[in-house]
Parts: sequence; C-alpha cells; structure tokens
Amino acid sequence: MAVHKRSYHSYAGEFSPAWSRFLVVSRYAYQRALSSKFIVAYFAICFFYPLGCALALYMNHNQRLLAIFNLSSFFSVDATFFYHFMNVQGVLAFILTALVGPGLVSPDLANHALPLYFCRPFSRVEYVSGKLFVLVLMLSLVTWIPGETLFLIQSSLAGASWMWSNLWVGASIFLGSAIEILVFSLLALALSAWIKRKTAAGAALLGVFFFGAGFGQAINAVLRTKNGSLIDLGSLIARIEIQLFHQYARRPAAVPADWAWLVLLAIGAFCLLLLEKKVRAYEVVRG
Amino acid sequence: MSFQRLPWALWRAQIPAILRLELKKTFFTRRGAWIYFLAFAPVVLYAVHSFVELKNGVHGDLGEDSHIFATVFQFFFLRLAIFFGCVGIFGNLFRGEVLEKSLHYYFLAPLRREVLVVGKFLSGLLAATVIFCSSALLQFIALYCYFSSNTIQEYLFHEHGLAHLAAYLGVTLLACIGYGSVFLAAGLLFRNPLIPTVVVLVWEAVNGFLPALLQQISVIFYLKSLCPVAVHESLNADKHNLLDLIAVNPSPAAPATAILGLLILCLIILTLSSLQVRRMQIDYGAE
Amino acid sequence: MVARQGEDEAHQPSAPPQMKRGAQEQRIVFENVSKFYGEVLGVNRVNLSIPPGITSLVGPNGSGKTTLMNLMTGLVEPTRGRITVLGISPHEPERLFHKVGYCTQFDSFPKGLTGYQFVYSYLRLFGHAHAAAARLAEQAIERVNLTEAAHRLIAGYSKGMRQRIKLAQAMCHKPSVLVLDEPLNGLDPLIRAETITLFRSLAQEGLYVIISSHVLHEVDALSDQVVLLSNGYVVAEGQIHGVREEILEHPTQILIRCNKPSDFASRIFQQEYVVEARILPDGQGLLVKTRDADRFYLLLNRIAQGGISVESVAPADDDVLSVYEYLIGAEEPPK
Repeated sequence: MAVHKRSYHSYAGEFSPAWSRFLVVSRYAYQRALSSKFIVAYFAICFFYPLGCALALYMNHNQRLLAIFNLSSFFSVDATFFYHFMNVQGVLAFILTALVGPGLVSPDLANHALPLYFCRPFSRVEYVSGKLFVLVLMLSLVTWIPGETLFLIQSSLAGASWMWSNLWVGASIFLGSAIEILVFSLLALALSAWIKRKTAAGAALLGVFFFGAGFGQAINAVLRTKNGSLIDLGSLIARIEIQLFHQYARRPAAVPADWAWLVLLAIGAFCLLLLEKKVRAYEVVRG
Repeated sequence: MSFQRLPWALWRAQIPAILRLELKKTFFTRRGAWIYFLAFAPVVLYAVHSFVELKNGVHGDLGEDSHIFATVFQFFFLRLAIFFGCVGIFGNLFRGEVLEKSLHYYFLAPLRREVLVVGKFLSGLLAATVIFCSSALLQFIALYCYFSSNTIQEYLFHEHGLAHLAAYLGVTLLACIGYGSVFLAAGLLFRNPLIPTVVVLVWEAVNGFLPALLQQISVIFYLKSLCPVAVHESLNADKHNLLDLIAVNPSPAAPATAILGLLILCLIILTLSSLQVRRMQIDYGAE
Repeated sequence: MVARQGEDEAHQPSAPPQMKRGAQEQRIVFENVSKFYGEVLGVNRVNLSIPPGITSLVGPNGSGKTTLMNLMTGLVEPTRGRITVLGISPHEPERLFHKVGYCTQFDSFPKGLTGYQFVYSYLRLFGHAHAAAARLAEQAIERVNLTEAAHRLIAGYSKGMRQRIKLAQAMCHKPSVLVLDEPLNGLDPLIRAETITLFRSLAQEGLYVIISSHVLHEVDALSDQVVLLSNGYVVAEGQIHGVREEILEHPTQILIRCNKPSDFASRIFQQEYVVEARILPDGQGLLVKTRDADRFYLLLNRIAQGGISVESVAPADDDVLSVYEYLIGAEEPPK
C-alpha cells in the first residue's frame, strides 16, 4: 500500500519518571480496595485503639487529673506498654491483610490481565512492588506510624530524658512492625498469586495462621518438643516482639529468637519464589 | 414425553445423579489437595512419633498417648482440620458453582431445588466423611502401632479401645454433618466465605462463655460432649494467643441430647438453605 | 403489531385478550411482565404470545432478549406479571423442564467432564435410567455432529464445539420448547448452515424454537415470526411482512428494473401516494418510495401494460434489517 502522506507520529511528549511507574498499579489497587465500605469501616476501626492510647497517655500526664486521684501516674509507659500496643495492632493488621491482600493479584490472574501488564514496558518487579506497596502503606498506617506517633507523644509529655533512655523502644516499634508488614504482605500476595479466587485466597491466609498455630501445638504435644512452634507464624512473630521489647519475663519463649528470624526470612524468600513462579506474562492451562 | 414417575422414586433417582456429578468435582482434584493435607497431616505426625519411639525402643504409656490423641483430636482435628475442610468442601457446593457459572444447569433440570440442596449436602457429606473418618482411623492406627500386639489387643478388645475408636469416628461424622450444614448455608448467603468462617470460628471459640441457651447454637458444644476422653483447656502450659481463642471448652451436654441437638440444628439449617435456594435467581454478572 | 419507542402508555401494545386455557396451553405467554434489576430495567410491560415455529428475539445489546429467556425458564423471577410456558408456570421446574430445553449464552461448564458425560449426567437428573440416558445422549450428540469428540474433555473443545455440546444438552431430553440464546455464536459458516437446518427441522417437527440473534439476515432466513426489543420494551412482534406493513411513517421502498425508468418515474409521480422515485445509477431501473404499496402495485400493472417493459419488482426494505433500523434506529448498529 503506497503511503503518500506521513501524518502518523509516535508520541514524543513527556514521560513520567520511570521509578514512580509502579505506583500506577498501587493507585488502582487502592481505588478497588477502598471501594468496599466494609474495608473502609474496618480501616477506620483500626485507629480506635491508637486514639485511645493517645488519650490515655495524655491523661497519664495530666497533673490536674492525677491530683484528683492523688497519683503520680495511672500506669507506667515503658516497653511493655508499646509491646501490648504492637500486639493489638498486629492482630488488626493481620485481619486487614486478609481483607485487602487477596484482591490484589487474584483478580488479575483470573481475568487474564497479567499479559496486558507485561506487554507494556512494565516489569514483574514493578508489578509486585506496586501491589506490595498497597499493603505496606495500609499496614504502616495501622502499625508503626501510630506506634511512633504515640512514642513521640509520650516523649513530648515525659521529656527528653525519657526519650533518650527509651529510644531503643522507638526503633523496636519500627523493626517489629516492619517484620509483621513484610511477612503478612508477602504471604498475602503469594497466596493471592496462587489462588485465583480472591475469597479462597483470603480464607487460605486465615487458614495458614490457624493451621500453623494448631498443628504446631499438636507437633509439640505428640513429639514432646517445642519445635512445632516453628510453623506457627504468630508464635514466631511474637518471639521476635519479645526479643525486641525485652519481654522475656512476661512470656516463656517457645523457640529461640534467631530461629524465629531465620524461619521468617525463609518464609519471605519462599513467598518471593512463589510470586516469581506465578506472576508471568503467560499462563499454562492444563486440561 | 411418556416418562412418568412418583416423586419419591424420582428423587431416589435424582439424588444419586447429583452425587455422581458432585463427587467427580470433589474427590481427587488438584484444587482440593489442601483438604487432604489438612486431614492427613496428623496421620503423618503420629506415624513420625511412632517411628521415632520404635527406633528408640521406647515403651510408651497408653494412657498418656490416649490423652494426647484426645487433645489433638479436639483442639486441632475438630476445630481446625474438619472446620476448614468443611469450609472448603461445603462452602463451594453452591458458591463454587456460581463462580464457575455452572449452577444454571441444575436449575434447568426438572429438579426440585430442595432435592438439589439435599443432593449437594449428601455429596459434600460423603466426601468429607470419607476423607476425615479415614484420617481419624489412620491416626488411631498410627498412634498406637508402636505398641506391642498384646498391648494393642488388650486395649482394643478388653478395654475401651474399640469404643473410643467408634466414638471418634462418630464424632467426626457428626462434625462433618454439623459444620457441613453451616457452611453450605454460609456459601448460599455470603459472597465472601471469609466473613462467615471468621464469625463461626469466633462464635465457637466464645461458646463456653455464652448463656446456656446460646451455647446450644454451636456445633462444638455437641461434639465436645461426645468425645470419649475429657481434656483440659489448652494443649500444654505454653498458652498461645491464637489457640487461647479456640481452646475454651463449653460445659458438656448429655450424649443423646448432643446427637439429637446437632441433627435438629442441621435439619433447621438445611431447611432454611432450601428456602434460600428456592428464591435464588441466576445473576452471574453480580459475582 | 408495532409500538414506538418513547410512546406513552396509551399507545403501548395492549395485553392479549384473556386466552382460553386450552389456547394458553398451546403457547408461551407473557402477561404484562416486567423485570427490574434494582433500578435497571430488564424488560417492561411485555405482552407476548408465542406460537409454535421459530420465533426470533431481535434487539441490540441490553434490549432484554436474555432477560425474556431467563424469565420464561425461571432463572429469574419477574418483578410483575405472569408467565406460562405451554400452560406451566416457571415455578414448577419439575414439570416445566420435561418440556423445555434452554441453551444459555454462558460459555461455562462443570469442570472435568467430557462432552458425553456432560449430556449423560444431566439426563440422569431427569430420572432416566442408565440405558435410556446413554441412548438419548448419543442421539443428541450425533445430531450436533460431535460424536467423534464426545469423549474428550470439554475444556479442550473449540468455541464451536462448546456451543454444539450445549445445544446437545439442551435438546437431549426431546423437549417441546427449545430456547436458544445466540446459538450460532462461534460457529463457522458450514456448521452455522447445518445448525440452521437443524432448527428448521425441529420447528417442522412441531417444536417451539425461540432464538435470540444479532445476525439479521439469518433471522430473516430462519424465522417464522420475530419479536423486536429495544431498551426492555417490545417494539414489534409478528411476521416480518406484517410488521413492515404497519410501519406507516417509513414509506415502503420498491426496486423496479425496467427499460424506461424516466418515463416510469414521470407516470408514477402524479400519484399522491408516491413519495420519491430515484433512478438507479445504471439507468436500468428506479427505487420508488410509496406510502401505499397495494395501490402502487395496481398502478404498476397499468404502467406495465402501457408499453414500459418491467423486468423485476422487489421490496427493498421488507426484511429484518430495515425493520430494525426503522424501529430501533442507529443507536446500536446491527451486525
């Protein structure tokens, strides 16, 4: 066919920065997740406890209130306080992961959308990063961000000396939350990538935790050991929290802390392997 | 069409037809592999235990092993393995067909919808019973196989071994009936199985704290009463957060009450499910 | 019977007179049926009486064709109104589906079944014994030319094979009414022709065959009567020619091949019922638009006797496509 007039030109305008393109995936994933009223309501509920703690911290330093009860303080604000805070928010973060996580990759797999992503200049790493970012941001908002905010509130009320002597608690809040966020997010994404139905993926995430806890205890009982707790994700995370917040006296440790770190790292690596296998531009359909 | 039959005779022909169709989808499918894993993990655990004991030449304590079996049966097998297994089997009976857009084939047959509910329930029950009862039997064998043949014969035929085995198999069957009816109904009422799973899990967990009347609206309430060996509240002294939730035992009911109560509960749930299916319309686009 | 889009209720097609019970048992009857999906209209105030033969439901996407089919088979409940299929309500599936077979638009199947197992297993639901179910399944599969592939998994079938196995499953129990939602979708031309022949033979055997389709020339070739739908309303129903005659605001177009088109045109233009006469580019005929086709044909006879040689006379818009365009318009262009 003869071409007489070349009027077609490729796009020659500006492009967005390459490093930020993975956020496109996150943006639409947020849109979808937050379109559910249930998730929005639950997300809001996740802030009730931090708000309550903030109020409690304020009251704990309110001289007038303390004078009424003739107390120097209602409770001591130390590592134990933040350890309990992390436990509560950790449970809420897990449930939030179970609600949001399965809807990230499963629908793309079920609707054959992955080839559409990867036939563009968009890599698998960017795709996974974009999806991971959704969970990382949401879980950060309910874990270490309110945790560090409470730490700062307490520091501002108690004074610089309290802050300097408890700076390690601030670091522990961040590190403990980071572990939780990574483990929950990678597990949720991996299950979402392997199970096409998002509701089944959510149930599977729940099942992994409960099964691990139950079967781990069964192993301990039958084999008269404590190593069964190595498959109990909740127990492993709890072990690390105990170490980070120095709560050794409060709870007897089921497994050594370094084993817990090792197992969690292995789980993270395994999840990344699962993601690498499933997040591809093509899918082999058998049968 | 000249073909004429009385309804009972027709239903006796239709229910096996439904069973034939459903069992093809439930048994030996890759998608259902996790149910087999849940069911037979304790068998592997007991087999490992027996192997280790045999290798070490240890003479086990029958009483202690019976207690461990009872504990693992009640706290892992009943409350987690059968629970989640029934979520997977029964929750998918209708919800799975809707997601796969194949439910209309049943609705386009000369089949009363109540008969469809009965047929699907029986197919799920058959699959669950075969899987979990065989697992219970194999667990029993695997746990005691390292004892001497004299000890085993004494325990089985002269003590209460066979009676215990029969009780465990009966409780497994009743658990499949109870949880099966609950999750068949949940699959009809909820698009997301996570919500009813969590609700029922929490309901069963807090059952021990509820008033006597509300306690009876629970599957585990009846099952616990029928277990031949009583167990204490936790698997071991190491209380764990997650298991603490589910390890509280409700106060027991008499065996006859337990069996009758569970069957009546199941019947009520199936009746309500039938009414729901009767009103059901095919609208796959909404899924 | 023709209704116009946007007309008020006074001009809606009236409900059929109360039919005698015997007459109702010979037809598929919709009495003032409406279906709303929440706030979205499926169909509204539909009054239809479908006789035996091939009836086509024609309309753009979203016009309500599938909704009507789902209503008559009980897959959805009407918001208002009543439906009977040969005197049986869709609320009685155990009676209804011995007489009705429905091939839906859904391209989905129970997992893990071969074509034969698919047809056979659902036949057993009818209460047939093994031997009878096997025989009926084989007959149905043979009728759709899938015998060779019958024992392969449906998951491995092509689109056309999946369509045919659905058809086999819909008619395996020898129903009196066959409801087919876009049954020719995905079929290659050869199989399409064979399937159309199959439908014709079924209709000749006395079945009620209700088909929905977008392919208007096939509807033209196949159907005894049509039901035109638009935005949930029945816009027209009946035989194509009857429907066309009732569309008064669109003059009938007639194509005439003759040796003196200019002379012809000058003679017919004197008539007040002739709206337009356009000479064809080849100069060997003309396209006439007339408000009164019957009077025009009488005039045509006189003109032909008056020395102008008329080679052929044919209606140019007496087909489903034209009727579709006039009544439903260009919003949803037909295929």
